[in-house]
Amino acid sequence: MKIKEMNEALQWLRSKYAVKADGTLEAAADGSFGADAELKLENGTGVKLLPWRPERRFVELKKLVDSKTLENVSTLRFAAMSHDKPLEKLLYRELDLCEFLGESPIVSAFAVSNGSTANVLAKLKDDKSCSIECSAALPAGTMEMDRHEIIARRGIACDRTVDTQVPQSSIYQFTENEEKRYTDTDTELFGFENEEVLLIRAAFEVLQHPELAALWNQTDARLVKMTKAVLESEKNGKPAVFAEEK
Amino acid sequence: MKPVKIAMMSLTHGHTRKYYQTLRENPKLDWVASCAEDQTAKDVYDLYNNGVPCYLSVEEMFEKHPDIEAVVLASANSRHLEQVKECARRGVHILSMKIPTFDPKEYDEMIEAVEKAGIVCQVELEMHYNPVVKRLQKLLAEGKIGKILSIQATNITLSPVWAFPWQGVPEASYGKRVPLKNADPRFRGGALCDHPHIFDLIRWLTNSDFDFVYSTVAPNLRPDIPVEDMLLVNGKMKDGTSFLFDPSWSRMEERLKVPGPGWEVFPKRMEVNITVTGEKGTIVCDCFGPNVYHNGAPNDRYTVQYTYFDEWIGLIDEFVDCIRNHKQPKINLRWHRQTIDCMNACYSSIASGMPARVQ
Repeated sequence: MKIKEMNEALQWLRSKYAVKADGTLEAAADGSFGADAELKLENGTGVKLLPWRPERRFVELKKLVDSKTLENVSTLRFAAMSHDKPLEKLLYRELDLCEFLGESPIVSAFAVSNGSTANVLAKLKDDKSCSIECSAALPAGTMEMDRHEIIARRGIACDRTVDTQVPQSSIYQFTENEEKRYTDTDTELFGFENEEVLLIRAAFEVLQHPELAALWNQTDARLVKMTKAVLESEKNGKPAVFAEEK
Repeated sequence: MKPVKIAMMSLTHGHTRKYYQTLRENPKLDWVASCAEDQTAKDVYDLYNNGVPCYLSVEEMFEKHPDIEAVVLASANSRHLEQVKECARRGVHILSMKIPTFDPKEYDEMIEAVEKAGIVCQVELEMHYNPVVKRLQKLLAEGKIGKILSIQATNITLSPVWAFPWQGVPEASYGKRVPLKNADPRFRGGALCDHPHIFDLIRWLTNSDFDFVYSTVAPNLRPDIPVEDMLLVNGKMKDGTSFLFDPSWSRMEERLKVPGPGWEVFPKRMEVNITVTGEKGTIVCDCFGPNVYHNGAPNDRYTVQYTYFDEWIGLIDEFVDCIRNHKQPKINLRWHRQTIDCMNACYSSIASGMPARVQ
């Protein structure tokens, strides 16, 4: 992660859009379940970032729900596979996305785990069901893969193409020695890796909307507790319960 | 090898029309007769111009075709016990649909009738003969990804209830009217009853049996049917493999009385995808893809046109082999019992909100 360049980009965005609030990105503590970097505000307050929330595909998926393009959502089907992120980190993000895209808090969840894998079923307060397939067991060097599908009475939305199994890319480069893929989605931050782009954007979002700082810190604390409780549920032989079900 | 003289009964199951081509084309079979459950089923049958006589009475069919050796029981689940007994009494071999019965007592009666008569009773779980599944089994057997840690699988389709109404009737599909859970107006007998394949496949892939399951239902996509259409299942096998299944009717459909082009609303009407994670790697597979695509008639919607359905060939080949060579099919009644027990455990879990042990 190129923290110095990321902070330069953050300052450039502040200047371009005349955002008064200031802050800097810092690498997150080792073992953090959340994002790889946090935002330190100029008053010294640390802000936990939820960088997937401003990610364009999730913004668009949420827009489809908010605009009633999808009507009466019933089920969310999520998956996340990685070779270098621990299970807790994968689950933390997916649990947040369940609540963010499902627009209702998780009230119970049950996970079955084996090695670096976990299969989770969660229930939202408004009765939607969510499944989360997590694997931190991809072999080294394998690209990260995920899928987010929202199933409604009217319509299905997904960040993956119909009849495909792995993420598609914008560019496929075939040369004598290798096949390389590129997916660039941010013109202003062109040249950064996708995860760096998301962290810069999330930090900028907080600077633009300072009220997010307290909200995201609160969400982080809840997600950390929830992630631990969900992964403990199998051992306890019953779903982890976070609030009364409807 | 002398072709097996075969007949079809009832003609009300969703897979009925898939047998028409197989029964006509497989040289190991001689399709001699059919018997419809009622006039409506016969009328639909007549649309396909199969050229095989169709009766409305089982007695009449067997009387006119005493040489029938085997039947495909293409009927509602609630009709299976009576039909199995009838075939056993006549010494006729049976190709049963995927759910013999959900009632343990009835299931035992079926086993007894079949074993006493010495007939073959093969349960139709056609995914076993899918070429992608065969490849997956081979890769796992060769140890390509090491010991299995986790399996995720979808068996999602549109709902067949508009063309095959019994699949939305709890008594005909589940065998009786059992509420899903407290304060829920729905009953057992929906999507879960239509999708046993992945519950069976995991037993073959792991060589292990079920330990426990946990299952939840979501709000129906079709609020006007009395059975569940959206559910999820996770759990563990006795060897520690964890799993997550989606056996929902999560793809919407046009409410056609006779399935045909334009049935699907979502481009891909049926999907069986399996992800297996092992200690040394991961395999992701789509048992029905890739395919070809169009946006033509009748609805001009982007649509997946499936390119292979070889399952029925392998399935019939095994059935004939078992009949002619006195073998026990892989998916026989005794083997299939635990799969049914697991599906019943899913319903128990939905009712209790807790994980349920599979007996």
